[in-house]
Amino acid sequence: MAEAEVHDKLLPLDEAVRAFIPDGTRLRGCGIGMRKPMALAYELMRQRKRGLTYLLSGWTEDADLLIGSGCVERLEGSYLGLEAFGLAYCYRRAIEKGIPQRIAIEEYSNFGMTCRFMAAALGLPFMPIRSNLGSDLLNVESFLHPKAHVMDDPFGSGAKVALLPACHADVSVIHAQRCDTDGNTQVWGQTGDDLWGTLAGKRILVTVEEIVPNATIRKDPNRTLVPGFRVDGIVPVPFGAHPYQVQGYYDVDAAFRRDYAERSVTLEGWQMWADEWVYGLDGHAAYLRKLGDPRLAKLRAKRILSGQVNYGY
Amino acid sequence: MATDAAPAAPVEGYARTELMAICAAREIRDGEVAFIGTGLPMLGGMLAKATTAPRCVMVFESGVVDARPKRTPLSIGDACLVPGSLMLGGLLEVFGLLLQPGFVDVGFIGGAQIDKYGNLNTTVIGDYRSPKVRLPGSGGANDIGSLAKRTVIMLKQDARKFVERLDYLTTPGYLDGPGGRERAGLPRGGPSSVITDLGLYRFAPETKEMFLESTHPGVTVDEVRRNVSWDLRVAARVRMTKRPTKRELRALRTKCDPEGIFLGGGG
Repeated sequence: MAEAEVHDKLLPLDEAVRAFIPDGTRLRGCGIGMRKPMALAYELMRQRKRGLTYLLSGWTEDADLLIGSGCVERLEGSYLGLEAFGLAYCYRRAIEKGIPQRIAIEEYSNFGMTCRFMAAALGLPFMPIRSNLGSDLLNVESFLHPKAHVMDDPFGSGAKVALLPACHADVSVIHAQRCDTDGNTQVWGQTGDDLWGTLAGKRILVTVEEIVPNATIRKDPNRTLVPGFRVDGIVPVPFGAHPYQVQGYYDVDAAFRRDYAERSVTLEGWQMWADEWVYGLDGHAAYLRKLGDPRLAKLRAKRILSGQVNYGY
Repeated sequence: MATDAAPAAPVEGYARTELMAICAAREIRDGEVAFIGTGLPMLGGMLAKATTAPRCVMVFESGVVDARPKRTPLSIGDACLVPGSLMLGGLLEVFGLLLQPGFVDVGFIGGAQIDKYGNLNTTVIGDYRSPKVRLPGSGGANDIGSLAKRTVIMLKQDARKFVERLDYLTTPGYLDGPGGRERAGLPRGGPSSVITDLGLYRFAPETKEMFLESTHPGVTVDEVRRNVSWDLRVAARVRMTKRPTKRELRALRTKCDPEGIFLGGGG
């Protein structure tokens, strides 16, 4: 039965992480300053995953937590900090002191990572860009050899380009506003490089604010980022990007982010934070209960509705 | 990227961070396309729009074109940048379709270290393999510095930041001097100015070397020199940076950062 098949994709967070993300997975996160896969990151920590390679353009608390908890061994990406809230201290401790373990990063620029994901999504081995030339991003390698290749335009324009290798993920996770039970996934607001990064995944896991009927998707197909036939698993997690924003659903919890930034400066402070908000809770529902309804209600997005367009012909 | 924005002591009715944001706004001409990061550059962009460059188009790297935020964004991906913007895409649209082919007039970037050719380090302090301080890395800075028609660099100044030799070259300025960008294959661009809490610098067209153009009110050339670790060139006649006007200060405080998130005193 088709109906039974589509519902097979729905699963709870802990089962999804067990089924899709074994130790050693090349995992692509999502979001840039918003729609971060925070519920998934917390669950990866609770399941004590090891040896992950985490791929993204702009990492923030998601990567810092996965580094602090020893889940991540390698990174390929371009930025790791807490934006307006300061430096990422688990990242600093790991790189500077090997706490809790040595990690390695292969760094590119944001546009470089976008192009690497795009190459993977398009089924190409590499992508040329005109950025990065002359900088240490091309000169200093960590674990990819070569990490880039500079060449002259073979068609004789005289332009130089840097070829960057495709960045494939074993699993890409996308935190989305809504999808149907088949995984047809819609995202709006800023999309970062989530189109390319998600489709660069051999398997795709959707964590989602809201499951909607297929008819809702079909009413506004321009908003679909990932077609259901590419999606392998769907995990409903309302407030799954907290403390980050999801356009149309909730705002940033700035106090929460500031608290993390302050407490994670020391190893002991970080450990206490992690015990309080991750290890001491048995899942996402407990996390939401601890946040409490009044706090969540305050974060809920106000309504700023789009206009409607005529899809008629 | 996060910008250093600790509250500075008020200088005659305004803080030096405020003057930095105002200097940034003055670098944007009306109608230009400006590529903006968070922190002081964002305030500069918002201020320019509110004062001298109402038709300037602010582009944010996570995909927003011509944002009109109603509050101070905390991140380049802040959802408050979205309502009322002109176009919404992702990194490919702004980096690939606007920046790479040369449609961005001016980009704003910061750094932890800068050298005399305007090259920037936002990656590590110390040896790359075993650094003293691990910093966030390029983010979009390298792309902006590589591909914008010109860049404006903003950072707080001291001799440990204004260095002879970078620990890591994250973002190209003029690389090793005249012809450096062309030899590397960069299609255009280079820094046009550096704004610090002490003064304003530009780059000599022939040597591509940074020189001091003006000192901020209350700052001496000697004080600037003490905070640069190479033999700094200075203009034949170093001017004083134009003080903030009432209009600039009012717009900055009431429209751009009313909660003092980046200017200090709040947030």
